[in-house]
Amino acid sequence: MRNITTKKTKSYQLVNRKVPYLFILPWIIGFLVFTLGPLILSLIMSFYNWPITSEPTFVGIDNYKTMFTADPQFYKSIIITLKFAAIFVPLNLAIALILALLITQPLKGMKFFRTIFYLPAVVSGVAISIIWGWIFNSEYGILNYLLSFLGIEGPRWLVDPKWALLTIVIASAWGVGIMMLIFYTNIKGIPAELYEAAAIDGAGPFRQFFSITIPSITPTILFNVITSVIGALQQLTLVLLLTGGGPLKSTYFYGLYVYNNAFKHHQLGYASANAWFMFIVILVLTMLIFKTSSTWVFYENEVKKEGKKGRRKNENIKRI
Amino acid sequence: MKFVEFKSVFFLLIAVMLLLVGCSSSAGEKSDTTKDGKVKLRFATWDVGDDVTLQQDMIDKFNESHDDIEVVLESYGSEYDTKITAGMGAKDAPDIMYMWNYPQYKDALEPLDSYLEKEGDAYKDNFYETLWNYNSADDEILGLPVGYTTHVVYYNKALFDEAGVDYPKSGWSWEDLQDTAKKVANKDSKVSGFAFSGKPDPYDFEMFLWSNGTSYVDKEGNLKGNLNSEKSVEVFEMFQNMAKDGYAITTEGSGTTEMKSGKVAMFVYGAWGLTPLKEAGIDYGVVELPAFKSGKSVSILSSSGISISKNSKHKDEAFEFIKFWTNEDANKERIGFELPVLKSVVESEQLEQDEVKSVFYSMLEQSDGYTPASFIVEDWSKVSENLQYTFESMLNPSTLMNPKEALNSAVE
Repeated sequence: MRNITTKKTKSYQLVNRKVPYLFILPWIIGFLVFTLGPLILSLIMSFYNWPITSEPTFVGIDNYKTMFTADPQFYKSIIITLKFAAIFVPLNLAIALILALLITQPLKGMKFFRTIFYLPAVVSGVAISIIWGWIFNSEYGILNYLLSFLGIEGPRWLVDPKWALLTIVIASAWGVGIMMLIFYTNIKGIPAELYEAAAIDGAGPFRQFFSITIPSITPTILFNVITSVIGALQQLTLVLLLTGGGPLKSTYFYGLYVYNNAFKHHQLGYASANAWFMFIVILVLTMLIFKTSSTWVFYENEVKKEGKKGRRKNENIKRI
Repeated sequence: MKFVEFKSVFFLLIAVMLLLVGCSSSAGEKSDTTKDGKVKLRFATWDVGDDVTLQQDMIDKFNESHDDIEVVLESYGSEYDTKITAGMGAKDAPDIMYMWNYPQYKDALEPLDSYLEKEGDAYKDNFYETLWNYNSADDEILGLPVGYTTHVVYYNKALFDEAGVDYPKSGWSWEDLQDTAKKVANKDSKVSGFAFSGKPDPYDFEMFLWSNGTSYVDKEGNLKGNLNSEKSVEVFEMFQNMAKDGYAITTEGSGTTEMKSGKVAMFVYGAWGLTPLKEAGIDYGVVELPAFKSGKSVSILSSSGISISKNSKHKDEAFEFIKFWTNEDANKERIGFELPVLKSVVESEQLEQDEVKSVFYSMLEQSDGYTPASFIVEDWSKVSENLQYTFESMLNPSTLMNPKEALNSAVE
């Protein structure tokens, strides 16, 4: 009996569910052909030695072995990339949040600044690299020229290995616009009553920021942390075009390492193994961040269900 | 249960995907002839902008004069190597392609010796001999020469006039260059006498070693005893000292940016600089490279050729096209972009009399008989990366490694 009913509901559900799948079919096909397909192929490739111009040969886990035991550049690149992420992610979040707060202020000309801040996000990475190449040029660049007015002799940004990583951080942070916009829309969505109530209770702007704004946007912070961690670990365009990994391999990021192994050294199998390792690292990191999120991310419905009684009372009052 | 259902949909989609992939590959096999039965050839170029317009015009001419062949131009731009590599990996490389890095791609290119034999000696002899070396790998010719450049010294005439220094003349030595650079350099107006890359491309840099009677590797490809030979160390010490002494600067890129600024008196570069520097309003002259005391003035070549893919199904038609692409008319058409590679064209266009272009040809003639390490060493791209790191550690102002130590550790 039970079987029949389940079958019935199942076939009913299937028919009923065909339509939505039909709508997302273009995306699904795109995902399978251009994302999942290559993903699986690269996993298979990582067990082969494939010099591209000739036939691939199966080598088992040799690529992974070489990577972990016989390639010092592998570890160097990981360390550089992690260092970059450790500086870039917090900095980027802070700048995006500050800018988002600034552009939510009801002042004249805010639309103009909003556009200006967002503009770098529209410019292609290649153009950004070229522009920063000019700005950072130590002999003729505008940055050191401006610093000279302050009596500072600017560092050799792209030549000195000590400064190069910071140079990339600065250039990357310029593309903060998208993250700023996400924060902005979220902050705009916080009900004004909360701030009014807080103001009546005597909370100053700082208290309001830390007790209302920050808790309200924690889901967005979580999202931005995850996307920028992933972005930082995959950074390639800037180092490829701005520094080429130099000076003295000080910006030889993992992304560039993979890219060069594949397209410069023609070791497609080895590069696939590299890429899979990074994929797993990112996966684990993302999972860790998600795990910790339950302790610091607050969702609205969570508050409604489990929130303090006082607040619930307030809400009831509002509803009435 | 939801999961089971999702899974079945998922597998259905995978099946659809595989079907699609299957279809597209069988469709790909059909597409090497056009609807009207012509042989379709794909031709990949790395050029961009005006060069591509010119190339398309030339291809149109070829297509008009050939009833049975249609060539389609694919312009890959700056991602050229990546796309060619990917194409070869997917067994979908273009039939015809521009080529420069023969050792790296040799397995995917069709050897042309047998085709050339049919054309006769006179055909082959019309190309400059040196160019054949650069368009081969493992003693097989893999491409027909299209263009080339040797390296020369560009000098900024205005800065020389200002300092009241004579323009450099052919037959000079590196000591002459240093003396000249010191004279033209001016701390107050921030003029540097000479600029060279602080991160030189190892491929290009080998010419300085040749010029001092040595090279990176011997015929067997050993770095040891060659890269760290006394004569090699001498070269690097000389460059390091120029930067240390302050009248010369190391550049972040090729040096073109610095030269364009009008604050650099001399730098070494190929024919790529001719147009950009003119457009930047620099009144420049060019002169042959200086020689070392015991050596001679010699340049490496950066050459471009045109090759046929080993997997092409229409190699004879492709050869017909690359012959067209390198004939006299084509050389003349390209004269604004490339230095002609045919002796007959150089003669008819009187390039030997051209004040600027003749310098590139005399460098070409005196640079015969050298083989770059990239043609000898098996895994050059890796070796090159290590060499670049070593060179940079010697020339980067924040490290300035001792050349002898750096080169000794590089050969290990």
